[in-house]
Amino acid sequence: PAGGMGLELEPLFQAWSCFRRRKFRQCSDLCSQLLERPPGEQAAWSLKTRALTEMVYVDEIDMDQEGIAEVMLDENAIAQVARPGTSLKLPGTSQGGGPSPAVRPVTQSGRPITGFVRPSTQSGRPSTMEQAIKTPRTALTARPITSASGRYVRLGTASMLTNPDGPFINLSRLNLAKYAQKPKLAKALFEYIFHHENDVKNALDLAALATEHAQFKDWWWKVQIGKCYYRLGLYREAEKQFKSALKQQDMVDTVLYLAKVYLRLDQPVTALNLFKQGLDRFPGEVTLICGIARIYEEMNNISSAAEYYKDVLKQDNTHVEAIACIGSNHFYSDQPEIALRFYRRLLQMGVYNCQLFNNLGLCCFYAQQYDMTLSSFERALFLAENEEETADVWYNLGHVAVGIGDLNLAYQCFKLTLVNNNDYAEAYNNLAVLEMRKGHVEQARALLQTASSLAPHMYEPHFNFAILSEKVGDLQRSYTAAQKSEEAFPGHVDTQQLIKQLKQHFAML
Amino acid sequence: MSLFKARDWWSTILGEKEEFDQGCLCVADVDNSGSGQDKIIVGSYMGYLRIFNPHPVKPGDGVQPEDLLLEVQLREPILQVEVGKFVSGTEGLHLAVLHCRKLCVYAVSGTLGNVEHGNQYQIKLMYEHNLQRTACNMTYGPFGGVKGRDLICIQSMDGMLMLFEQESYAFGRFLPGFLLPGPLTYSSRTDSFITVSSCRQVESYKYQVLAFATDADERQETEQQKLSSGKRLAVDWVLNIGEQALDICVVSFNQAVSSVFVLGERNFFCLKDNGQIRFMKKLDYNPSCFIPYCSVKEGTINTLIANHSKMLNVYQDVTLKWATQLPYIPVSIKVANLQDLKGVIVTLSDDGHLQCSYLGTDPSLFHAPRVDSREINYEEFDAEMKELQKIIKEATKTQDILPKSEKHRDVIVTAEVSPDLDAESQAIDSEVKAESVPSVTVKITIQSRVTAQKPNLAVCVQAPLAVTCDQFVFDDLEPDSSETVVLSVFLKGNCSPSELEGNCVVSYNRPTGIPKVAQCNFSLPLRLICFPAQPSKAANHKLTIDTNKPPISFLTIFPDFVDPSEDDQANVLGFQFLTGSKTTLLASKTSQRYRIQSDQLEDLWLITKELRLRLEEHFKKQNCKDFACTFSGSIPLQEYFELIDRHFELRLNAEKFQGLLSERAVQFRAIERRLLTRFKDKTPAPLQHLDTLLEGTFREVIALADAAEENQANMFRAFTKLKSATHLVIMLISLWQKLSADQVAILEATFLPLAEDTQELGWEETVDAAISYLLRTCLSKSSKEQALSLSSQLCMPKDTSRLKKNITLFCDRLAKGGRLSLSTESATQQAVVMPGGCTTIPESDLEERTVIPGSTATLPSHGQIAKQKSKP
Repeated sequence: PAGGMGLELEPLFQAWSCFRRRKFRQCSDLCSQLLERPPGEQAAWSLKTRALTEMVYVDEIDMDQEGIAEVMLDENAIAQVARPGTSLKLPGTSQGGGPSPAVRPVTQSGRPITGFVRPSTQSGRPSTMEQAIKTPRTALTARPITSASGRYVRLGTASMLTNPDGPFINLSRLNLAKYAQKPKLAKALFEYIFHHENDVKNALDLAALATEHAQFKDWWWKVQIGKCYYRLGLYREAEKQFKSALKQQDMVDTVLYLAKVYLRLDQPVTALNLFKQGLDRFPGEVTLICGIARIYEEMNNISSAAEYYKDVLKQDNTHVEAIACIGSNHFYSDQPEIALRFYRRLLQMGVYNCQLFNNLGLCCFYAQQYDMTLSSFERALFLAENEEETADVWYNLGHVAVGIGDLNLAYQCFKLTLVNNNDYAEAYNNLAVLEMRKGHVEQARALLQTASSLAPHMYEPHFNFAILSEKVGDLQRSYTAAQKSEEAFPGHVDTQQLIKQLKQHFAML
Repeated sequence: MSLFKARDWWSTILGEKEEFDQGCLCVADVDNSGSGQDKIIVGSYMGYLRIFNPHPVKPGDGVQPEDLLLEVQLREPILQVEVGKFVSGTEGLHLAVLHCRKLCVYAVSGTLGNVEHGNQYQIKLMYEHNLQRTACNMTYGPFGGVKGRDLICIQSMDGMLMLFEQESYAFGRFLPGFLLPGPLTYSSRTDSFITVSSCRQVESYKYQVLAFATDADERQETEQQKLSSGKRLAVDWVLNIGEQALDICVVSFNQAVSSVFVLGERNFFCLKDNGQIRFMKKLDYNPSCFIPYCSVKEGTINTLIANHSKMLNVYQDVTLKWATQLPYIPVSIKVANLQDLKGVIVTLSDDGHLQCSYLGTDPSLFHAPRVDSREINYEEFDAEMKELQKIIKEATKTQDILPKSEKHRDVIVTAEVSPDLDAESQAIDSEVKAESVPSVTVKITIQSRVTAQKPNLAVCVQAPLAVTCDQFVFDDLEPDSSETVVLSVFLKGNCSPSELEGNCVVSYNRPTGIPKVAQCNFSLPLRLICFPAQPSKAANHKLTIDTNKPPISFLTIFPDFVDPSEDDQANVLGFQFLTGSKTTLLASKTSQRYRIQSDQLEDLWLITKELRLRLEEHFKKQNCKDFACTFSGSIPLQEYFELIDRHFELRLNAEKFQGLLSERAVQFRAIERRLLTRFKDKTPAPLQHLDTLLEGTFREVIALADAAEENQANMFRAFTKLKSATHLVIMLISLWQKLSADQVAILEATFLPLAEDTQELGWEETVDAAISYLLRTCLSKSSKEQALSLSSQLCMPKDTSRLKKNITLFCDRLAKGGRLSLSTESATQQAVVMPGGCTTIPESDLEERTVIPGSTATLPSHGQIAKQKSKP
């Protein structure tokens, strides 16, 4: 502060300047001092509201969390049995361009693994409540019962953190109608209630009153109402508000919100069209192109997704998500050298984490740049922040060991993977294969069973189990496992051959 | 994230702990040198005004003394500096300095010296205006289209625009709907002021309209009146952008049409003159300042946007052309011509870093810290590796995961059960309906020889017994120290326990971080759950135990139950359990036999066990080593099967309840869903009694859950009884067949699996699997049976007939001389099904595809054998 030299700045000006420089704590303190003096000034009050909001602000577009209740009680979906290529619920129904699970691993919901972790990439849709609850849950896949009990709650605790002596604004005593009449105060107040207090109902009340006061001519209030409706799960109503807002004023954010609604309603095609219309209005808008790419990726249309990610890079060549996704795409389409260049680019840009070095190590290995492989993994291990990451590195090291034929090392690597993360189904599967080679049938069988119970979506444990059982002569069990494998990956030729062979056996009996 | 960093051309740090903001930087040829050389003018909140003329000898040079043309301290904080034609009668550039309550205009001039460092610069105050209100920011321009001079407009903190026509004050106007000041700029093309108001709108006010509106100062009224009365200030156009703005710029470059650029907190807008959006860009960072600087391609405008991640982005309209790393977060950014170098980027941070930089391909190299790399000594590594391999090999060879118990224990835990019951019962919340529930005190001592960190004691007794406190946490134990805790054990649940034992476990960490445990068991007195009572003659279940010694008077072996005054208790003794049932113990006067009788099979167990224990102890004291008990009657399998059936029936019930519960839950959710659709409707439709249905279903769900819970409690009791009976059966079998301790251990492992009894994996199927295994291995009659493979999945059987058949067969085989042993077999490798699940992590890559070579045609006969069921 300027006080030291005997030169006094006006406190409100100083607070205003601090706010502009994003020194929110200082700004809020200065405003508090101003507010202590009677009369409490509106300007300081509003500035403090804004500062407190900015401290915890997260863009609502990036916020997404679907709880079990939302998934199960979702009666918004248009068609329960959607036509292929029109729904995100049926990942298997890609229309060409999708990689096979033999090449690219899939998530539990059957979508190919993406190169970038986003909040929504975890969402798979279980078909019944019982299944939803029973689905193996770990810290990584945990899904709250409802979104009202999930991440939003933690965000809402901001009010307790920032103000140990109680909330700055007591919402229950607030006369919302009075504030709704004052547009200059109302908008900041709304954001405070919505983002800082996380009180959607009060926020909605305020927004409803304010939009009425603005004679339904302010698109901003409509977007805010839409946001509230979205949080409350009233998607159709949210859609109406967003559409009405778009009619008044084209805005990038509104398009993104509306697309989010359509995605929640499982109408990816509508969302795509919306994004494309948005691009006509705002050509080259990165968020819109990226949105299209994400949808294509989720719909298993990887080639289109890659095209759009490339468009993103044409507009913004520092876009980390696009670089990572293109990189992983190249990796899985057997071009590790090109993937390596993308990952190296990320490294040059200053991304410095375990995942990147992990990917670099793997790319180096498959691109036959062996000198860098181990040092990359070494760095990855050094940078691993939690046991899950360490497990990933050891798992990949196991792959390298298998590749160089050092089965002993591979065995130990997979064991270490399990030490770090004992839910690692892939490691169980690979250990089983190694045990099988050693001739430990019982152990291999137990490991495979563990793998398939941990990750029913993977076809490998089922297939390996089928082969194993067939080998020891347990045709019945082999057949059952082969069928599971076929279910997980219908196009797997080896499985089909095995089933055919088994059927012949049965026919002979 | 960027590949490159801004190349340093010239930089300096201004003052110490001074503060700067957006308005504090200005770039212009302020001394009217006419050379087109810009000077950098910086004012600080501390009141320092500095003017720089950087001319580094080579790029990256630091500041030289002659670069600083002027440094003066003004008496007030400097909010903003601007350069324009502010003095009447001349078109020369002058410097306007905005203080909180004052506006000063200075002329800057230099006198050339003989040598470069001899140049002298000074400022001369041309005029000043004292302000009635606290100023916030200002803008200037040829308001009203005047030629050759600039007028100044100052925005005050309370929303008044004060206009100065050079040396004279023109007028002041309040902005309508004002709360907090926003950025302000003047557009000469439309002759209007553009600002972003607290209503989050871009607003444009014509200078003409401002001039003709009622003078704000003439009216000495309150704010409300100001807004309502008089000529309301009419706005030219508004655009709702829905966010606050950091800065506004109006530019018009030769090729491109004039545009208004607004840097919002989250978006970047380019507007047409009439306030329509030309384009916008959503920013994925927090911007700090910006400047549109030129038009490289026709129809587009290049803009520099700096952000709070210390990045400077160059955009051509919305396309990112370049991104570069800055050493700090700039609060103000300008583009200047310095020393014949066009387009130098001048940035100022809020703590006084001033830098002139240019773009270049200097990589912003991030140097990853070195991973701890030791000098590689291959021989040592090899040796260490061999050593480790050996350890691993050893560890994998021995199947026993637990290390061998050391004789020399570091931490010893001992439990001492007091011989007498507590004088005052410590029982709490006991469900037993007896008049008084006794308790017994257990004293647990932990002795440590070494430092034990975070010692944690857990005391565990099997339900229905309970302890008053089962967890103790201590401070770190010093070597040779000890801790003692006292707790009480009592009967909590309303049934008799199957075991009168407890154990305590101490877990602690060695200073090296290795977790360790120490444990001990203790047995509880019989008096805890029963008391002496009148013996009863008749009973449903009777057991006779033969011994090879003459009977001992109960006075000797049951002193705690016998009243010495009553003689007749010498060979008959009654026990009354707290839960109500009775057991009678009879000693034959003539033969060497004892009889235990009770109405319930399970009640026999504890008494029989106690009898056997006490007899053994008694003879041990007498140094009589050949004492042995035998059992010659038939094993009470029928009664035992009844208990199994009872338990199994309850399990079936539980399954039924579960099914019903999930059915009702589905129904409940279906109704909920329907209600939800109705409530969501804008025009509410009648509920059609859905609410009644919902409530009804809810009650049903609750009732079912209650019933399921009760069933669970019953099942627990049934299982305890079953366990008691199983113990009894095991003991009888072992007495009957005179089994060795090893064989008894196998028997116990077979009949009393350690696993909890749950719905998914219950006692019946576990025991059945274990018995089938024994029947197929050590008790098998032919090698044919041995070939049978185990079914790997355990699931709840449909009924208990198979289990009963197997148990009967098991007893038969034992009677026919079967021997229990596991020696011929390697340990069973039961499928370990891990709970929990996993997600695939994006970074984990290619699955291992089958390494197993393709299937070979195996013998069909093999398959036939696999399908044979075990013969009963």
